Amino acid sequence: MDIDDILASVDRGPGASPDSTALDHQLLTRFWVAERAVSEVLPWPAPLMERIMDRVRIQIETIEDLAASSETTLPTTANTHNPNLNLRLSILQTDLARTQYIVRSLLRARLAKITKYSMHYLVLLASRNKNPLASQTQSTASSQNPNQQPEDSVPDISTLTDLAPLSEPESSFLHAHQTLLAGHYAGSFMGAFPRQLRRLDDNAGGTSMIQGPELREVVFVRCLGAEVPVVVGGADEDGDETGVTMQMGDVWVVRWEGIKKAWGRGEVELL
Amino acid sequence: MAFPLPRGITASEIAFLAEMETVTIVPRQRLEGLELLGGPVEALVPPRRASLPLWLALLLKRQRRANIIPPTWLHPEPLSLILEFESQHQDYKNAFSPPPPLPGQPSILEPDVIPSARPQYTPDGNRYYAAPPFLPQNTAQTVTTSRDPLSLPFHWVEVGNMLLEAASDDLVDPDQIRRLLKDLREVRMAKMRSGVDVLDAAATGGGGVSLTGVGSMELGEERGFITGVVDGLRRIGSSKEQARREQMAEQRANGGYDGTQDDEEEDYMEF
Repeated sequence: MDIDDILASVDRGPGASPDSTALDHQLLTRFWVAERAVSEVLPWPAPLMERIMDRVRIQIETIEDLAASSETTLPTTANTHNPNLNLRLSILQTDLARTQYIVRSLLRARLAKITKYSMHYLVLLASRNKNPLASQTQSTASSQNPNQQPEDSVPDISTLTDLAPLSEPESSFLHAHQTLLAGHYAGSFMGAFPRQLRRLDDNAGGTSMIQGPELREVVFVRCLGAEVPVVVGGADEDGDETGVTMQMGDVWVVRWEGIKKAWGRGEVELL
Repeated sequence: MAFPLPRGITASEIAFLAEMETVTIVPRQRLEGLELLGGPVEALVPPRRASLPLWLALLLKRQRRANIIPPTWLHPEPLSLILEFESQHQDYKNAFSPPPPLPGQPSILEPDVIPSARPQYTPDGNRYYAAPPFLPQNTAQTVTTSRDPLSLPFHWVEVGNMLLEAASDDLVDPDQIRRLLKDLREVRMAKMRSGVDVLDAAATGGGGVSLTGVGSMELGEERGFITGVVDGLRRIGSSKEQARREQMAEQRANGGYDGTQDDEEEDYMEF
């Protein structure tokens, strides 16, 4: 980021200028397509979604006001002053429904991924905010606990503040969901297991029981920056090792892990 | 189930995206400007031309409130030129014809110009590069100022079919256009299939397969097949890749990295 970038970012105030409405709509659309295209949950764009939901709320009020005014003026003869009212209403409602569809599809796609990889994300959240002392006492306690239950392996994330990539409601849903699921497993079959086999995050024998999203799956991307190299390996590597280079305007089939950082910078677009 | 749809947007969602493309209309009635969630819409004053999102243009067209001016490329002559180019040109035997350039991207006629992506800035201060469907690739240009060769926009299948269905009376020789679109689709589909051989390149870390010029719907059709094949190839080659990575790490540790190991990643092919 150079000085021009900083100046440009300061120039844009938080106001809801028409320009930023269109831009936010494009950002939402792009984020929705991206969320549908990859197997992991993408970082929650909290400021963007707040702005979108504010606008949706305002738009619903506008539509209600318009509808109310059309009802009150109908019996009188004054409704001829605006013959386009019904047309305007139907346009506004169609537009609202389109935006709501994107938001709903986006949230549902995220929920599906969260439930599919629930234990992975719980462990991810808990491990990043780990208090080494607390986890140690917890693990010793759990290994000695004679009444080990599957619920005990669900990490407690209620006190965490850094919830990335999830939003706050998503993380509380995640915890509630996994607690319920663990309770169900315990009641239906896991209660009958020997107690050292009752943990849901068991990784005995070198095989982890936690399934995570596959970051090596391929995605379709369009290169938007002037040049974007595809990184070999994932974010865990040093990242200076690159493979092919995409030129501006190109469409490629590449691994998600290879362009994840470039996506974060907005230089590629998922298709 | 929170969300039953597979990874990657489906055909109907692609059509939904294509409806966000901007088209040119001639309104038949007045309508004041509207503040939509997708951005403001200009006031309609007949007979002045206006640019609207496709969904709104179709809504007005179905109610006979406007006529749609077909996009520059959706005429028999440009389509037959593109078809000839796709099927006859030697350089593009296995590649799609080049897509319309992004803003700041030099046309293929000036290969020496360095691409300069011109980002906008989001309210959160991130860079944003516009891309289809939010570029005016389907508007009717009154004057053909650009020397760019004719090209098919990203959403050509969807926009073409929607306009043929809803606004065929606004098109020039719709039957001929329908025939040409069908021919184009067949030629390009054959190219897509013949490119399956090179998919192996996308299965390696840092590698990829270029699909530049592909259409959105064509991509959607082949998405399941390509991701399936590449993921299968990746699983087959995963042990080999692991061994190679370890070998490279060892070489780096020894201080000598001669770069010959990159050969495998460099052999990307266009198709």
